[in-house]
Amino acid sequence: MLHQWSAQSGQTPREPGHLPESEDLWEQEMEWLRASREPLRSLPYAMMDKRLIRKMREPEGMQMTRWQCWQQKQQTMGQRLGEVARRLAWGFGLWKGALYEIGGLFGSGIRSYFTFLRFLLLLNLLTVLLTASFVLVPLAWLHTQGPGPTLNFTLQCPGSHQAQTYIPRFHNQLWNVLTGRAFNNTYLFYGAYWAGPESSSAYSIRLAYLLCPLACLLLCFCGILRRMMKGFLRRPGLGQDYGVPLSAKVFSSWDFCIHLRDAATIKKHEISNEFKVYLEECRRRQQVQQDTPTQRACRLLSYLRVNLLNACLVAGGISAIFWATKYSQDNKEESLFVVLQYLPPGVISLVNFLGPLLFMFLVQLESYPPSIEVNLILIWCVVLKLASLGMFSFSLGQTMLCIGRNKTSCETYGYNACDYQCWENSVGEELYKLIIFNFLLTVAFAFLVTLPRRLLVERFSGRFWTWLGREEFLVPKNVLDIVAGQTVTWMGLFYCPLLPLFQSIFLFLTFYIKKYTLLRNCRTPPRLFRASSSTFFFQLVLLLGLLLAAVPLGFVVSSTHSSWDCGLFTNYSAPWQVVQELVALRLPLSGQRALQYLSSHAFGLPLLWLLSHILTVCIAQSQANARAIHVLRKQLVWQVQEKWRLVEELSRLLQEPGSSESLIPDSPRFRASHPRFSGPGFWSPGSPGPESPARDPSTRTPPWLSSSYPGSRDSPGPRFRFPSGTEL
Amino acid sequence: MGGSGSRLSKELLAEYQDLTFLTKQEIVQAHRRFSELLPRDKQNVEDSLRERVSFEDILSIPELKANPFKERICKVFSTAPSRDSLSFEDFLDLLSVFSDTATPDIKSHYAFRIFDFDDDGTLDREDLCRLVNCLTGEGEDTQLSASEMKQLIDNILEESDIDRDGTINLSEFQHVISRSPDFVSSFKIVL
Repeated sequence: MLHQWSAQSGQTPREPGHLPESEDLWEQEMEWLRASREPLRSLPYAMMDKRLIRKMREPEGMQMTRWQCWQQKQQTMGQRLGEVARRLAWGFGLWKGALYEIGGLFGSGIRSYFTFLRFLLLLNLLTVLLTASFVLVPLAWLHTQGPGPTLNFTLQCPGSHQAQTYIPRFHNQLWNVLTGRAFNNTYLFYGAYWAGPESSSAYSIRLAYLLCPLACLLLCFCGILRRMMKGFLRRPGLGQDYGVPLSAKVFSSWDFCIHLRDAATIKKHEISNEFKVYLEECRRRQQVQQDTPTQRACRLLSYLRVNLLNACLVAGGISAIFWATKYSQDNKEESLFVVLQYLPPGVISLVNFLGPLLFMFLVQLESYPPSIEVNLILIWCVVLKLASLGMFSFSLGQTMLCIGRNKTSCETYGYNACDYQCWENSVGEELYKLIIFNFLLTVAFAFLVTLPRRLLVERFSGRFWTWLGREEFLVPKNVLDIVAGQTVTWMGLFYCPLLPLFQSIFLFLTFYIKKYTLLRNCRTPPRLFRASSSTFFFQLVLLLGLLLAAVPLGFVVSSTHSSWDCGLFTNYSAPWQVVQELVALRLPLSGQRALQYLSSHAFGLPLLWLLSHILTVCIAQSQANARAIHVLRKQLVWQVQEKWRLVEELSRLLQEPGSSESLIPDSPRFRASHPRFSGPGFWSPGSPGPESPARDPSTRTPPWLSSSYPGSRDSPGPRFRFPSGTEL
Repeated sequence: MGGSGSRLSKELLAEYQDLTFLTKQEIVQAHRRFSELLPRDKQNVEDSLRERVSFEDILSIPELKANPFKERICKVFSTAPSRDSLSFEDFLDLLSVFSDTATPDIKSHYAFRIFDFDDDGTLDREDLCRLVNCLTGEGEDTQLSASEMKQLIDNILEESDIDRDGTINLSEFQHVISRSPDFVSSFKIVL
């Protein structure tokens, strides 16, 4: 037993034929275990062995000094705090049971969608908290209630657009809520905020209102990046291809979360499909390499053709959105106002519904390997979704701020004051309508399409119904939907500060609706969707959405003219002017000069140079590492071959006459030619020769590894034990 | 059943928290589930820490029932001399390695041992063949043909066998598994 051995430390029992090397290695292992600071829980040993190691590290006779006691207590407390913090970061264990159930039934690929939902919910709640604490609470505290919108300016407005004050009101309260008119003068929209001049109060509401969206976006950016990097490759393959190798996929393909027999069967089917598809692609790739140049050119042309067609589809889609938005804004006073209110969101949803179907149809006309097919369709769906949102915000900007076109009504005030008394409110309303429409569409699809489909498929059994089947729960499509909603929320942070609150409520309800749909009305898609690559993909698309939302925000904050008579920035040429004014007002002269220096070229250019220098050094370092790895691999292969060559030489020597005496266990020749021993007494690991898979017992050598296995595994007896002489 | 008879002492809990990656609640729940597998008269604290549960009973828990590697898992974590039963501490070790907070190193270490069907310290062709058969199941339409299996295993060895000796040892396995971001999230069992 290890216990007995350590008790007699220093007196190694001598057994006949005992190899001195095994003792040294055994001692080395024990010494390493004793001296290492690695926490016990991460050592790959059984519980009783860990206890023994712990006893070895701190012999009982030793008195622990006060310092060590305190250190240990701090360590345990630190660990506990870390556990608690981790639990909080995982969302207070919100929906833990539901996620567990979904993972058990459908695997971690689909569960990743729901964890992503939870992550977005937390982001939105955090945003609401920030906004409330920095803007709303001080506003309520200071009790500033400004004058209402004043109309003491005259405009020459072309045409019959008299009606700055005329806003069509519906007597239907529901419509008012759905279009945002009911909330027009509440803190939901930009227009209701008001603050006195900057010099009058110590706390600048304007600065808080300006910096809140930027801070929220920055926080979200950091959070997403951190989550992305956590799931990312721990040690990226330097100098190798960046994909996940097949062996890694094979070893990590089983999902240990599954605990239902049916789900396990489905998973096995999926894995089998994946392997078969992979092998098919390998064969295809080999075939492709034997293609003539003409065939290669043909393939390239067809690839270009498909992508060109898809690009045309995207262009068509987003121009439809542009037209729809313009039409809806230009015809605000029409009698079909009700329908036109929701025309832009309707067109966006239609485009995003038809687009993927057409992409799939076009891509499947060519016969691409499945992985390329899936990736291509996915990329184009993402492009379509984000482009449609970008075009929507651009067309809003064009109507309200005359970006990209010259219109006389924008010249006087920098925005289209004739049509929009408070353009920020209008933008806020459009985004609000978009979010509401998205949510209503989700609910409608769940209850008016998927549910009836399931009922009909169960009821009837014709060929059509069996072909139709239940709806598949497509993770990418659902993820793109919620990412689009989140992008719109981020776009609206400046115009509609409480929009994240609505988004949180909708996300919360979406979780339960999607869970119900998945568990009752859907079936799993036949194609495997891996949890981690999907997580990375989700975070990436979310990041793109965030960048898409940040660009208009930056533009608006820095260069557009705010509304003349509503909101916080009435007297500034651009909202960012507030910062300059406050800097001039509040900061001492030295601070102002420091800030001026930091934002000038004299600071920026050297910083840029330094950063590019660091980047160059990093790249050069990584290239050097890649070369070193290559050389080391070759060296390793050479060394193993050399080892086997030596072993073969030795076994050849054994065959020579006069080798009978070397069979005596004690003779040095025996020991030299039978280098067989095991580690701290466990199963003798072997590695067969390079060519012959047949196991030759006389040529076994232990792969001595620092993290070797403990304990005896193939013979009964005490756990750690010496190799006895009879084994050799 | 409540009362101090079925609860673990505070020192023991602290010790288990030290030696495993589990939180206090997880340890208590593990103890409860383990006690349920024992015969009625042995469900108090002292006996539950001493007794061993045979494989048939352990393999009946829902978290392991559908797992194709369930026998291997039990065999790897068993410390019995005949390796056919699990004690409570073995069970805790199992849950610790499969928990959320276990390090990727220890997970990959135990994954290697689970996949090593013949317990010889390396993954050779035979081991890989059995691994793929476990993953694809027994059905006729899911099992790979002999040529497909050979091609697959050739590709695997081509990628991961760095020293070209025909087998995958622990370091090579850990190296190749570090390239898979999936592994840590799928190698989890939670009660």
